[in-house]
Amino acid sequence: MITSLWRRALLVLIAAWIPVTIFIAWWTLSAESTNPYFPPLSLIVQRFTELWFSNEFIVTVLPSLRNFFIGYLLACTIGIVLGTLIGGSRTGIKYAEPIIDFIRSIPAVATVPIFIIIFGLDIAMRVASITVAASMPILIATIQGVRSADVVQLETARVFHLSRAQQLWRVRLPGAMPIIFSGLQLGLQIAFIVTIASEFLGSGFGIGSFTLIATESFLILDAWTGVILMGLLGYLINIVFDLVERYYLRWYYGQKKIA
Amino acid sequence: MEIALTSDNPVRAFGRIPPALVSTVTALVLWQLVTTVGPIADLSIPSVTETGAALIGELSSGEFYIRLWETIQMAVIGFVLAMAIAIPVGILIGLSRFSWRSTKFTFDFFKVIPPIVIIPIVILVLGPTMQMGVFLIVFTLVFAMAIQTGLGVRDADAVLLETMRCYGMSTASQIRYARLPSAAPFIAVGVRLSASAALVVSIVAGLIGGAPGLGKSILLSQAAGDEPRTFATVFVLGVLGIAVSRGVTWVQRKSIFWMPT
Repeated sequence: MITSLWRRALLVLIAAWIPVTIFIAWWTLSAESTNPYFPPLSLIVQRFTELWFSNEFIVTVLPSLRNFFIGYLLACTIGIVLGTLIGGSRTGIKYAEPIIDFIRSIPAVATVPIFIIIFGLDIAMRVASITVAASMPILIATIQGVRSADVVQLETARVFHLSRAQQLWRVRLPGAMPIIFSGLQLGLQIAFIVTIASEFLGSGFGIGSFTLIATESFLILDAWTGVILMGLLGYLINIVFDLVERYYLRWYYGQKKIA
Repeated sequence: MEIALTSDNPVRAFGRIPPALVSTVTALVLWQLVTTVGPIADLSIPSVTETGAALIGELSSGEFYIRLWETIQMAVIGFVLAMAIAIPVGILIGLSRFSWRSTKFTFDFFKVIPPIVIIPIVILVLGPTMQMGVFLIVFTLVFAMAIQTGLGVRDADAVLLETMRCYGMSTASQIRYARLPSAAPFIAVGVRLSASAALVVSIVAGLIGGAPGLGKSILLSQAAGDEPRTFATVFVLGVLGIAVSRGVTWVQRKSIFWMPT
């Protein structure tokens, strides 16, 4: 018991020494810094707490998060529904594939100007560009997942006279979930990137816009806090996704452990 | 009788047209319709013919090829630098359990952070230059590639390594004959993903950071209100993206032909 506790403490120590070293090095090396671009870390931390533990968080960050979640949820719905429909039919794949292949080959961020032309600098522009960009990997993963259903399970379903809809709902979709989840994760990362990009390119509100304006007005401290906050948000979103996936796909990871 | 029927059957004949052609033409016709007669005709969205004209205009101008070359150059320099850093680092961190566990958290952290968020600071320090784009590309690729290489190095056959140790082979030859061969397929996958990512980041660096290249062209044409040119350039980027991912897959199939992809 005690040895396993020691072991765990040791593992944490091994994982933590590099980040801690980086932090201490940054703190001490920047302490006397007069370089305008690299202000002392102590000042950045102070400004960070001032800005983001106040009303400013609600005004600046929440609109970004709202766009992000609306766009991502729409992308999940569209991607999975369309993907199931297309993946369920062989002709569907043949006709849809070239179009999907082309759209997903355009860098997600480069589609934002197109949406600015269509929607202007409205919220609709931000949500639409997030939705379209993030739905691509989800759509592709769903098509792949639905197609690669387990043959024995499908045959069994047929023997028991399950209807096509039942086969899709009970056999194909559950079996496709591990692949769909990889698409959902990629979609999540793209949704976050496009959220920020839509604020960089079409200024207005949001954390991306805040940071870019701070940069342009040489408010270096504010720019640093914006960059750090966006980085932390990007990291946290991924962590939350991993937890949800672990929980939802626990049957799948269980199978993998046994195998 | 039946043979004649099948060969003249218009539905069958339709089925022989490549599906890619059918859906591409359908998409283009739909786009043309909604922008000229359809519901969004009076918005500033360019039609197929306007975009096509802009595309031809672009492709016949020398300017366009300079921008294309800048984008590719930035992507290649960033890609090569990132590989030159990440592969040796990946081998190092994969060699021992201590180095792997020490770096795991830090590398995962930087791998997950989307590179777009650091652009404001990078613009401040480096300005809208090619170095800025190269730095962004390296930052994007290096952590994921090092982890990927490390995973490959760690995948080496334990029995083989033990045997080598028993025969007193040096660490260098263990790396050469056991670690690297096991890492090769991992590195190949990483290289393929990195090449596409390098192109994307090279464009993003231009579009958001003002670095030279096609990304900046989009930014400028949009700011000038030249919608057909914006559409045409984005269209070119799609074609470029397909070309790079197909090209890299083709090169890998030729060069590591023994490995099924």
